[in-house]
Amino acid sequence: MKSRFLQSFTLVVALGLVSPLTAAPQIGEPAPEFSVVDTRGQVHSLGDFAGQLVVLEWTNHDCPFVVKHYSAGNMQDQQRLAREEHDAVWLTVISSRAGEQGHVSPEQADELTARREANPSAVLLDESGDMGRAYDARVTPHMYIIDPEGILRYMGGIDSNPSRHSADIPEATQYVVTALEDLAAGREVAQAVTRPYGCTIKY
Amino acid sequence: MQRLRIIASVQRLLMGLLLLLPIIAAGNGPEKGPVQRDHIEVELVAEHLAVQPGSTVRVGLRMLPEQGWHTYWINPGDSGLPIELEWTAPPDSTISTVDWPYPDRLPIGHLVNFGYEGEHLLPVTVEVPSDLVPGQTFVLDLYADWLVCRVECIPGDADLRLELPIVAAAPAPDPATRELFAWADARRPEIVDWPARFSTEGGQLSVQTEATRPLPVDGWAFFPATENLVDHAGDTFITVSDGLVQLSQPLSTYFTAAPDTLPFVLVHAETGTALALEAQAGNLASTAAAIPATASPNFALVLLMALAGGVLLNLMPCVFPVLSIKALSLAAGAGHDQRRHGLAYTAGVVLSFAILAGVLLILRAGGEALGWGFQLQSPWFVGALAYLFFAMGLGLSGVYTFGTGSMGAGENLARRSGLGGSFFTGVLACVVASPCTAPFMGTALGVAIILPWPQAMGVFLVLGFGLALPMLVLSFWPGLGDRLPRPGLWMETFRQAMAFPLYLAAVWLLWVLARQTDANGLALVLAGMVALAFALWLAGRPDRGQTLATARHVGVAMSLLFALAALGSAARLEQEATDSAAAAWEPWSPARLQEVIDDPNYAVLVNMTADWCVTCLVNERVALDTDDVRTALAEHEVIYLKGDWTRRDPLITEYLARFERNGVPLYVVYPRNGGQPQVLPQVLTPGLVVQALESL
Repeated sequence: MKSRFLQSFTLVVALGLVSPLTAAPQIGEPAPEFSVVDTRGQVHSLGDFAGQLVVLEWTNHDCPFVVKHYSAGNMQDQQRLAREEHDAVWLTVISSRAGEQGHVSPEQADELTARREANPSAVLLDESGDMGRAYDARVTPHMYIIDPEGILRYMGGIDSNPSRHSADIPEATQYVVTALEDLAAGREVAQAVTRPYGCTIKY
Repeated sequence: MQRLRIIASVQRLLMGLLLLLPIIAAGNGPEKGPVQRDHIEVELVAEHLAVQPGSTVRVGLRMLPEQGWHTYWINPGDSGLPIELEWTAPPDSTISTVDWPYPDRLPIGHLVNFGYEGEHLLPVTVEVPSDLVPGQTFVLDLYADWLVCRVECIPGDADLRLELPIVAAAPAPDPATRELFAWADARRPEIVDWPARFSTEGGQLSVQTEATRPLPVDGWAFFPATENLVDHAGDTFITVSDGLVQLSQPLSTYFTAAPDTLPFVLVHAETGTALALEAQAGNLASTAAAIPATASPNFALVLLMALAGGVLLNLMPCVFPVLSIKALSLAAGAGHDQRRHGLAYTAGVVLSFAILAGVLLILRAGGEALGWGFQLQSPWFVGALAYLFFAMGLGLSGVYTFGTGSMGAGENLARRSGLGGSFFTGVLACVVASPCTAPFMGTALGVAIILPWPQAMGVFLVLGFGLALPMLVLSFWPGLGDRLPRPGLWMETFRQAMAFPLYLAAVWLLWVLARQTDANGLALVLAGMVALAFALWLAGRPDRGQTLATARHVGVAMSLLFALAALGSAARLEQEATDSAAAAWEPWSPARLQEVIDDPNYAVLVNMTADWCVTCLVNERVALDTDDVRTALAEHEVIYLKGDWTRRDPLITEYLARFERNGVPLYVVYPRNGGQPQVLPQVLTPGLVVQALESL
C-alpha cells in the first residue's frame, strides 16, 4: 500500500515535471488516472477497471455533432457493440462547467440516457473539468480507448467525416469500431490518432 | 445531382423536425434577399446591379453573425467546420472557388479558431456566357451549409437566390455592396510564388520561405490552410531576417501525416499586408544565401544580368591583374592577329565556366546546393592562390625574370605567346575569378542554382562570355587597338605597377586564410611566402661555377619545400579555428560525443551547422546563442557540441546520414540516462530549446 502510494506520488511529480512537453496523453503510454462521480453518486477511477477495455466518450447533448451521432443511433450502436462484443466499459463523460451548454444534473443525464436509448456503463459528471483536461479532451464527441493494462490505445474522433449530417455516417470510417476490432484481433490499432471534430468543450 | 440534393435536404429536414425547429420554417425553395437563421443573417449579393453577356461578375455570400458569434475560414482551427457551398448557375457559366478573405484569430477557451466576426463576405467570380439575351434575368442559386458559433455552435443552412437583369452595356456597381467587396479585397491575400518548404520534424511545424522584397520584421500572423496540422492555440514563432522568413508552431496532438503541400497565409495587420504562399514538404534549405528568385524568372533578364555581371567581374581585384597580364601581351603582340587571340581567350573563359557549371550541376544533382565560392572553403586552395599571386607579383616587380622563373603552371601557360597562351589566360581568369563572384554574383548564381540544368548552364556560359567580352572587344575593335600605346620603356613601368594589384589580391586571400585558420596559420603562410620569395630570387641569380649552381638549386628546392610544408601546416590548423567568445560549446567529434553520451552526469546537445546555412545562423542567433539557452545549458549540465559542416567533413556527413539527413541544420539532444536521441525542429525558439534541455 505504502509503496503504491510512493509510486503514484513519484508518478505525479514526474508528470508535473514533464507536463510542459506532454500536455496531451500519448498512445502507448499509461492513460491518465481519474476519479469522477457518476449520476448515481458512485466514484469511478481508471484503476477500478483494470483487466477491462475502457472506452471514454466526451459528450454535450446540445452539440450538433453529438446530436448527429445520437439521432442516427450510431453512438448507441457503438456503446452496445463495445459492451456486448468486446466486454468493454463505456464511460460517457460530461465536462461542461455549471451554467454552460451541456451541463446537466444527474437526473437530467439519466433522463437523456433513457430517452436516447443510450447504453453507457456509467455517465461521469466531470463538472470541474479535471478529467477532461487530463485527457486534453477538446470537443464533443471526443473518443479514447484504454486497454486492460491501462495503456491508451486510441484517441480522436468518432468517425472520419467531420460533417454535421447523419446522412454522412454510413460512408465514414467508424474509428472506435475499427480500433476495437484491431484490439480484439491482437493487432496494433491502425489509426490510433485521428482528428477529433465537434463542439468545443465548455470547461 | 439535383435529386440527390433534394433527398439530402429531406433527410436534413427530418432531423430538423426532431431537433431544430427554426429550420423548418425556412425549408421552402431558394430565397431572395437577406435571410435570417439562428444567430446569423445571410444573403447572396453581387458587386454590380446587372450582368453583361460575356463578362464576369463578382458575387458573394454576405454573412452577418450576431454580436459575439462567428463563422469559419477554410481551416476552422482547433474546432469548428468550414462552410460548404453548392452553386447552381445557368449553363455555360463558370464559378470560381471562394477568394477566401484572411480570417481573424479567435481564442475560444483553450482552443483557437480561424474565422470571422461581424459582417463579412465570401466572394467568387462568375464568368457570364456571351449568348445571354439582354432584357432577361440571370439567376444564380446557392445552397450554403455552415456552423455559427459563440462557445456553443449552431448549424445552419439556406437556399439562396440572386437575380440580376441582363444588360447590353457595362453595368453600374451596386452602392449597397461596395463596402463589403472592398472589405473582401482588402483581406484578399496577394498570391506570391516565393519558394517555400515545410517540415514536421521534432513535433513542430517548421516553415521557411525567401521573400523577394523587404518585409516588416515583427507583427506577423500565420494561418495554415491545412486542417489538423498545427496546434492552433500554440505559440507561433516567426523570424524575418534578410529576406528569409522562418516560422514554427507546435504540431497538433492529432497530427498524423504531413500533406505534400501546405498552403498558408501570412498577415501583417499593421500594414495591411497579406501574402498567400504554398510550401512543399521536405527539409528546410541550407543554401548559401537566400535565393531571391521567383519560380519562373524572366529568363532573358537573367541572362542579361549574367552578362552584365560577367563584364563587371573584369573589375574585381582577383581578375583584373590577370587581365593586365593579357593586356600586356596584347600590347606586346600588336602585329599579330588579335581577333583570333580574342576568340581563343573567349573560348578559354567560356569553356572554363562550362566545366565549372558542369561540376556544380553534378554536385547539385548529388543533393548539395553549393555556394559559388566553394573552392575558397579549402585553406589549401586559398594559400596556394596567395602564393601564386605573390609569385606573379614578384615577377612583375622584377625579382626574377619571366620565362626562367618557376611559376604556376596556369601562369606559365597563360604567358605562352601563341593562341594557346590566350586560351589559358582565359582559363586562369576563371579560376581566379571564383573567389570574387560570391559576394557580387550571388543573385544570378542563386537563380542558376534553382533553374533546370540547361538554363543554369546557359547562365554560366553567358556569365563567362561577359567576363571575356572586354578583351574580345579590344581584340576586335581596330580603333581601340590603334589606341594601345606602342611597346617601349613604358611597358616596364606598367608591368611593375601591375604588381601592386597582385599584392593587394594576395593580402585579401591572406585575410580569408586568417579567418579560416588563425594567427598561427597566417604566420606560417607568411613565412612560406618569404621562403617562396627567397627561392624565386635565388632561382633568378646568374650561375657562377658548378658548385655554386648546385648549392643554388638545392637552396631553391629546400625553400620551395619549406613554403609547401608551411602551407600544409596552416591548412591543418583549419579545424581548430574556434570562436572562444561564445565558448558555451565545444567542437563536435564522434569520440567526444560518445564520451559524453557514456557519462551519466551529462546530457548532450548536438548542433550541426555551416557558415553558408542561413537557417543555421538564424537559429543560433535567435535561440542557441541567447542567455536563456546558455543558462539552461549550465543549469541542467548539458554539453553543447557543435559540428561545422562548412567544409563538408565526411564524419559529419556520416552523422547526418544516421538521422536520414543530407543537409544542415540538424539539432539532436541526448538524455543523460543514455536514452534515445531526440531530433529537434529545424526552426528553433529559445523556449523550445530550454524546454528540450529541461527534459533531459
